[in-house]
Amino acid sequence: MADRLRGLLKGAIGPSDNDSRYLLDVHSRELPGEDTMRQYAPGEEVDLVIVGAGAGGSVLAQRLARHGWNIVILEAGPFWHPDEDWVSDEAGSHELYWTQNRIIGGADPIELGKNNSGRGVGGSMVHYAGYTPRFHPSDFSTLTDDGVGADWPINYEDLRPHYEQVEAELPVAGQNWPWGHPHRYPFSPHPISGAAARLWEGAHKLGIEMRVGPVGIVNGTFGNRPHCIYRGYCLQGCKVNAKASPYVTHLPDALAHAVEIRANCMAARVEVDQATGRATGVVYHDEVGGAEILQRARFVAIAGYSIETPRLLLNSISSRFPHGLCNDEDQVGRYIMVQGASQTTGRFPDELRMYKAPPPEVSSEQFYETDLSRGFARGFSIQTVSPLPIGWAEHVLADGHWGRAMREYMRDYNHWATIGVLNELLPQPENRITIAEPIDPYGIPIARMDYSLCENDKSNIAHSTEVITDILHAADAQDVLTIYRYAHLVGGARMGSSPQASVVDANQRSWAVPNLFVADGSVCPTQGSANPALTIMALASRLAARMASGAAMDDDPLARAGTGTRQAATPQHARSRSS
Amino acid sequence: MPDFRDHAHLPNLRPDREPPHPSWLPRQEVGISPQMVGRYPDFDVLSAADTWDEATKSVVMARLKDPAPLRFFTPDQEPTLRAFCDTVMAQDVEPRVPVAEFVDDKLAAGRLDGYQYADMPDDRDTWRLVLHGLDHTARTRYGAAGFAEADPENRETIVDDLAHAHLDGGPWEELNIARAWSVCMRAILAGFYSHPWAWNEIGFGGPAYPRGFMRLGPLSTTEPFERHGSTSEDPVDAVHQGLGHG
Repeated sequence: MADRLRGLLKGAIGPSDNDSRYLLDVHSRELPGEDTMRQYAPGEEVDLVIVGAGAGGSVLAQRLARHGWNIVILEAGPFWHPDEDWVSDEAGSHELYWTQNRIIGGADPIELGKNNSGRGVGGSMVHYAGYTPRFHPSDFSTLTDDGVGADWPINYEDLRPHYEQVEAELPVAGQNWPWGHPHRYPFSPHPISGAAARLWEGAHKLGIEMRVGPVGIVNGTFGNRPHCIYRGYCLQGCKVNAKASPYVTHLPDALAHAVEIRANCMAARVEVDQATGRATGVVYHDEVGGAEILQRARFVAIAGYSIETPRLLLNSISSRFPHGLCNDEDQVGRYIMVQGASQTTGRFPDELRMYKAPPPEVSSEQFYETDLSRGFARGFSIQTVSPLPIGWAEHVLADGHWGRAMREYMRDYNHWATIGVLNELLPQPENRITIAEPIDPYGIPIARMDYSLCENDKSNIAHSTEVITDILHAADAQDVLTIYRYAHLVGGARMGSSPQASVVDANQRSWAVPNLFVADGSVCPTQGSANPALTIMALASRLAARMASGAAMDDDPLARAGTGTRQAATPQHARSRSS
Repeated sequence: MPDFRDHAHLPNLRPDREPPHPSWLPRQEVGISPQMVGRYPDFDVLSAADTWDEATKSVVMARLKDPAPLRFFTPDQEPTLRAFCDTVMAQDVEPRVPVAEFVDDKLAAGRLDGYQYADMPDDRDTWRLVLHGLDHTARTRYGAAGFAEADPENRETIVDDLAHAHLDGGPWEELNIARAWSVCMRAILAGFYSHPWAWNEIGFGGPAYPRGFMRLGPLSTTEPFERHGSTSEDPVDAVHQGLGHG
């Protein structure tokens, strides 16, 4: 009976305390409120200045604005006008990405730009594919349970109510979810494409369970947001308003509650009172070559994501913090992570036209946790994807083809279906953001990102790529092409139980500066093999609740150290480690 | 007669890993495809252009304009650039997708990709060094005046060595060659496969807003304006020659 009622109500119940879906215009994709938003006078001290209008910063702003906080968000990129700025075209979407220069090094340098870095109001979620899985309970104690990675100072139950709230806000569509902590989704699963069906069939033959979703894409209507039209350009910015990003899920409500977004404003450093050690605001430029402007604030939250957040901290040098803000213990920028994201693509006799429907369709978390018989710790997830022609050409290139062979494979594009993995790569101290010598057009030194895989990472990538290749063969694919690549970013300013091993505490408050918070994915100590967007939003939602109640300012050492590690050390967990 | 359900044309499955000569393919019947070959001879993605939103239409249609003179590369570099782009995309006759112009425009405008390998120069310098290196190898190995003057087979051999990082001497000593190949190919592939002529060749449905797609499968994946892969043989001839499926 309860299940039947839930089925009837599926897609009918919206979140409370967030009116974004009604504030949007049915006929225009503008973010309502850009022209009418509150504008704070220069020099006025606001309650909170946030750096970055992405997944973390936007949710934090929306929540605290509802509590009456006066908030300014500084965003390095533009204020989008999707009707004019976004196009149904791969090459034409260059401006969505963070394409300012960064140096990449290490044994396995990570390609950035369109692969994983967003710029502009709405952040990277403007061009994410749309997968919104939760982390598993096991993600929060991998050091205790699996002997690798790190333990979080919080646990799954701390985030669970925020997962549920954010899933209602996006809203997430998908089948009932059997993995991790089993849960339902507020919207029904989308229909799947012929290409995804072929892959699912292959997985089924191998006994691999897959489920439709979870995606932050409207199935039905949601306030003034329409149904998805299955045009396939999720990675180029959703012109339909069907795919969730803060641009449509949180910023309309934030602007209606006196938040000001200052677009095209590049933060240069966090200003700190050298006598009290407290942050007094953020210094930024509102144009290239422009003077420095100080936005004063009672609290500062940095939400620039895993490269720009450490870069801003490391560039905030003062006599009190000669090695960069919050970096007395040399923790800022360390433990940055990406996920292995190999993809294989298989050829089928029928035309499948994988460019139709959203790239994210069907996924599996069956291999998410440690299985020592595989020979490595932690695991991976499997997700169908569907690259557009330029993306698929890079795939063909990676398999070693150019010239006539490239053209031949590309002419065959409509016959192929693509499946990928997300590997949980482990946090390592030498995978880190540092400051490089070159400066950007504002005169601010740019970031350098070093990345090297460890043996566990390599084993995980190799094994998981075999599994998806097996899926294609089981589906009777006629030919298979493989590309090894990476996706997503988290870490770089991680949360932890001590200032010696982390940048922020269990409340995402920096150990070194009492009124400075980090509100993005850089706080994650581990990453699981789930796409990070939903977790970044849930963390910001939790942070907002604790900032509003005052709990986040708790100076009690035990409160700052958090509860995650203590709970992870129960006998039950100890048993599973030895099994 | 080609059967597209079959996979015999795929390079990985052929003994020499080389595709059959493009002469097995139909000539493009409607619209334009690069070299007028393709798998969808009666599909022209531009036939649906009136359903595209204005922003997308202006971005895509701009690629069909007559190419402007190069701004980034010098007249000295131009022949090498064109020969390189033609060789890696197998564009041996007109009509060609103007890949060289796409690369030139990207570099002239500074629309770089947002990262630079620590052991590599700026992408713009990488391009200059690669063109210089191609000329160097063509001269030292084949005695040609430059890469553009080398025989097509020799140009392909040099590019194959570039793809496998098997080049050395001269400008190549200043580059991580595998990464240089990746830098160049990213730009070239984006230039080629962003062009509507290439979409005709591969049967890609193209932009779909505000119209959207309704046929996702499993029973049909073809919208009314899309066409299935087909050949251009006269069906009467094909039957007479016993090439049909019966």
